[in-house]
Amino acid sequence: MRAAAADQVEPAINKYLVAVLAWAVPGGGHLLLRRHQKGLTFLVALTLMFATGLWLEGRIFPLGFDVTQPLVGLAAIADLGVGIPYFIAKFMGHGAGRVVAITYEYGNAFAIVAGLLNMLVVLDAWDIAEGRK
Amino acid sequence: MTSHLALMALFAVFVSTVFATLMRDEPRDQLWFGSKLFVGFIGAGVLIGWLLYPLPL
Repeated sequence: MRAAAADQVEPAINKYLVAVLAWAVPGGGHLLLRRHQKGLTFLVALTLMFATGLWLEGRIFPLGFDVTQPLVGLAAIADLGVGIPYFIAKFMGHGAGRVVAITYEYGNAFAIVAGLLNMLVVLDAWDIAEGRK
Repeated sequence: MTSHLALMALFAVFVSTVFATLMRDEPRDQLWFGSKLFVGFIGAGVLIGWLLYPLPL
């Protein structure tokens, strides 16, 4: 009985590593915690959502704080929430944003919300690593 | 793609999928909860759109 229960205990995984991986790769924390279905769903949905934002000519907002445009800084933090896809897009020269495009605001919304949702996913992975879920 | 309704529906698909996966553990429950969220998003969007129709007065 005790051995069977011990078999069901998940191996201890560093929760800080889980959080960093969950941020860097959407769904990565869940995959590390062997929640494969959830991890793959987050990986596909959030990456696709961020990519759709770029496809709709949204802008990846620059990091930094400008007193005259405080919302730009907040949008940049939200964009950064998606992790490595943010840096890949920057590296590949995407996310310049075309303000006159009819889908510009939609693109921003898709990219920003993808980052914010990934922050929630990081918190969920943290809770699982802590044993709360 | 420049259809407002289609973009709203696509946005609702992504957000519903992530929330359903976060909040439910079983795939069957996720599908049911995600479907309800999706219908709620679309319904609320259409309703608010009609409520705003007479504006500006």
